[in-house]
Amino acid sequence: MDFIYGGYRGRLLEVDLSSGKLDTLPLPEELCKEYVGGRGLATRLLWDAMPPEADPLSPESAVVVASSPLVGTPAPTAGRGHAVFKSPLTGTIGSSNSGGDWAVFLKRCGYDALIIKGKSPEPVIVKIETGGAKLLPAGKLWGMDSHEATDSMLEGLDPKISRVLTIGPAGENQVRFASLVNNKNRVYGRGGPGAIFGSKNLKAVVVSGDQAVSIRDEELFRTGVDQGLYRLRAAPGTNRILRELGTAGLVRLIDVIDMLPHRNYQDTIHKLEDLNKISGEAIRKNILRRAKGCYRCPIACQRHTQVGTKEGEGPEFETVVLMGPVCGTYDLEAITLANYGCNEMGMDTITYGGTVACAMELFESGALTAADTGGIDLRFGNGEALKSLVPLVARREGIGDALAEGSRRLAERFGRPDLSMSVKGLEFPAYDPRASFIQALGYMTSPSGACHLRGGYAVSLAFFGGPREIPRFSVRQAPAAVRNVQNAGIILDTLGVCRFTSFAFHVDTWARMLSGATGAEFSTSHLEAMAERVAALERLFNLRAGVINTDDTLPERFQTESIATEEGDSLIAPDKIEKMRSGYYAVRGWDPGGVPTRETTERLGLSALEAKS
Amino acid sequence: MKQGDLIDKMIAIGSACLNRDMQDSHSGNIAARWTNEEGTPCVAITRTGSQKGGLERADICFPAMESTDFGHYRASSETTIHARILSIEGAQASMHAHTKNAVVATMGPAGKSGPAAPLVPIDPLGRGFLEGSVPVHRFAVPSGSPEMAKIIPKYLEKHPTMMVQNHGAFARGRCLEEAFFRLCLVENSGYVRHLARGFGADESTLEREAAAARDGLFGLAPLATGSGADVYRHERLDQCDFDDEPQTKREFLKTGFRIFEQGISPFHTGSASIRCVDTMLHAPAASMPRGVPSPLLEIPLDDEDEKSFPVSIHRYIFRHSNFQTAIHTFTPEAEAAILYRDPGEAEPPDRIIPVDAEASFLYPAVPVLPAETEPGELLEALHDYNVAVVRRGGIWAVGEQSLSEALHHNSSVRDICLYRLGALARGLDLSELEPESARKW
Repeated sequence: MDFIYGGYRGRLLEVDLSSGKLDTLPLPEELCKEYVGGRGLATRLLWDAMPPEADPLSPESAVVVASSPLVGTPAPTAGRGHAVFKSPLTGTIGSSNSGGDWAVFLKRCGYDALIIKGKSPEPVIVKIETGGAKLLPAGKLWGMDSHEATDSMLEGLDPKISRVLTIGPAGENQVRFASLVNNKNRVYGRGGPGAIFGSKNLKAVVVSGDQAVSIRDEELFRTGVDQGLYRLRAAPGTNRILRELGTAGLVRLIDVIDMLPHRNYQDTIHKLEDLNKISGEAIRKNILRRAKGCYRCPIACQRHTQVGTKEGEGPEFETVVLMGPVCGTYDLEAITLANYGCNEMGMDTITYGGTVACAMELFESGALTAADTGGIDLRFGNGEALKSLVPLVARREGIGDALAEGSRRLAERFGRPDLSMSVKGLEFPAYDPRASFIQALGYMTSPSGACHLRGGYAVSLAFFGGPREIPRFSVRQAPAAVRNVQNAGIILDTLGVCRFTSFAFHVDTWARMLSGATGAEFSTSHLEAMAERVAALERLFNLRAGVINTDDTLPERFQTESIATEEGDSLIAPDKIEKMRSGYYAVRGWDPGGVPTRETTERLGLSALEAKS
Repeated sequence: MKQGDLIDKMIAIGSACLNRDMQDSHSGNIAARWTNEEGTPCVAITRTGSQKGGLERADICFPAMESTDFGHYRASSETTIHARILSIEGAQASMHAHTKNAVVATMGPAGKSGPAAPLVPIDPLGRGFLEGSVPVHRFAVPSGSPEMAKIIPKYLEKHPTMMVQNHGAFARGRCLEEAFFRLCLVENSGYVRHLARGFGADESTLEREAAAARDGLFGLAPLATGSGADVYRHERLDQCDFDDEPQTKREFLKTGFRIFEQGISPFHTGSASIRCVDTMLHAPAASMPRGVPSPLLEIPLDDEDEKSFPVSIHRYIFRHSNFQTAIHTFTPEAEAAILYRDPGEAEPPDRIIPVDAEASFLYPAVPVLPAETEPGELLEALHDYNVAVVRRGGIWAVGEQSLSEALHHNSSVRDICLYRLGALARGLDLSELEPESARKW
């Protein structure tokens, strides 16, 4: 029987690895309106699936991966899934989004979301088909890297309808920033969902599905799609820069606005000739084999590259900078090979780069010695070390075991916690917060730590925003601006579509597509209210997990060491932090301690959930 | 005011006149009261034949109020008229420009001197700030005549502006900005009537409708708006409450310049705001040329007693939504476009549908709301469309992030209206140009 709304399958798959039981559950209709899909739906399902206080690597924890009503439709870029979990790296809610098209085929199997709980006594995989799902022993797959495992699991399956979501050795060894990999190189990267799979003895989830997704109001849906595609073609960010240069096209642009970090965020000073070695232009000229897009994506920012005889995907902008200038190197070959290695091992390249950079500063400061590193010279600029550490970290061998814990635990262990450039334990991406107060506040208040996407990709509007350019140095504007970009991000994560579309069009266009797909009215104001609800629920999760208001801050370096910007020397002094943070709580409807007020939870329909907890 | 500052202001306003095409390259005058170091009351006035768009310091003359024709043969031939206007109580400045659209709107056959049919604005600004009617006088010698020097000041004793038929408008003000503001509104009223004719509207019917219209919240009771007139009660037009955030200030100035220069709203009309935590940053007279600022204020969001328009609407938007910016403009093209009626239809439609390709994708339709619209209804439309036109209430647009984002909407609506007007002028059938999909919105 058809579900009440188009676009949805109306079913959830719950896998209890402890009991080996797989249940198909009905998708509650009210969750569709209140949480829609993707990040919203997954966050709501996680709330019921695990206590926030639980150890993320224990059987009590859970992982939810959700699609959305747009996923698998012709809506542009609508192939993304969203994983929500408690992060073993940060102890906060973990929230990670991926391209590729695994989520499309989960949906074609007849499920809107997958809930994984418990722990299997032996390594297993979950195999989902149109008719149902089952657990299978992982056997020799355990120990394989993500590429080998993917190839192996696809053997004998119809490649047109089958996809694999897997971990690599890093996940098996519970590296705290291990990723989930689909399409071999598209990852749910941040926060360590791969470590949770590993802790549960779950190697992979294979999907084989061919059920088409239905659209209720084809004309309305098509009008929204046409509008979106037109604007994607019209906007230079989506029509030219990302297509021609990939995300690394940002290298020069971010440097122009003084935000490109260097040597573990000690400064943002680079020589142009160095940047020209790692820029999007350099990638296109030297290592690009072909550009490609994710599911239904006209932007096509993927870079399929080759170094020597080795082929792979990337590096993306964040990876280029975190493994490059942040580690003091501009060696594109070393960066690319380390990136390939992380994808194969299943590790988040941002946290990997940030953790290696932290180790390098520890090494140069004398806190970490050659005896600790097993003789590896960890000075800034050592591209060889960058490459050679990848397998050591993934397998927790030698100094790799300490790095596998992430920069916060590494820096604490070696007596210099100030050298971890992270918020709540999640390493910064490639935008120095001192050159954008709004981005700084986004990092501070992101539910999952210093993530540019979950924190609100404010800085992207500084160079691709077109008319939406946000002044970067306004403390007054920061709270409401960050709330807005965070909400816009939640909406896109919830719809299963790419952030880059926001360089071309806005929520109203998505609202038309969503209303057309589902046959229900999803206005922009409805979606904004949904985003407020999700943000509050993420906050409630974090509060129960032990996060407090003073965790919403920046590393000391950003508060005391200035960088040169177009507006003069800039840092985020404690008074600015306090003013922006308290302002943010106020515009969110949270009290001065960062707790959603009773009025807010009632307004958002969260009172019952809160009381239940 | 120091003499140098006054000269700078006159130069800036002259440049603004050129920018808005208020007259030909050399016509018009700008004048202000000024007392010299000896305490003699003088008229600071532009030199005869000077280029108002490129005034230099030497182009400003300072004849004494009581002897305007003595020793100042460079001063405007209309200096005496201005000196008499400046003798009116409260008048500190006066201006004259040829205001082409207003002249065309009131044109009549040459003849004996005497009152002519007034200019009756059909636009909300004209109704609100020009007392609903601008007197027009026909002069036998309609340029530089003693008769003009005698009669024009008499009109301006009773009215803020008047028109010399087939010649141009005069305006007085408490400051140069106010005189220019009024002059711009006269021209704007003429322009709206010109555009309305292009959209096939019947002017006499419109005049009757305008006179009979019941103003809703968005309609303008005379002098009740936050734009223009209120601003001139302000002590410092260059006040900025957020000088500590130069980037934010630049955003306001840039936006204000665009609004003025593109004609999205007449001088010192419209308003723009950015939402902060418990305050909003507000430009109460957003349309501003370079060198002629308007105040940039930081005001609380939660002042429940504040009822003035449009501040209360900005507050309402921010208090009841997540929008971060809002811009309100009185765009003449939109004022006229909403008067268009589809052939055979008794009432104008409740939307403007773009007929150009770019806007067809960006704005499937622009809603047109009645003057009696409540703020909640406006906000609902803004949620769905980001921009809305209110009858007799201007264009409202919002942004999630920036002033620039909201400005793009106001600016686009102006172009949407111009494309429709151009198509009509070519004799094209608008219904055939409107995309089929737009009818769904």
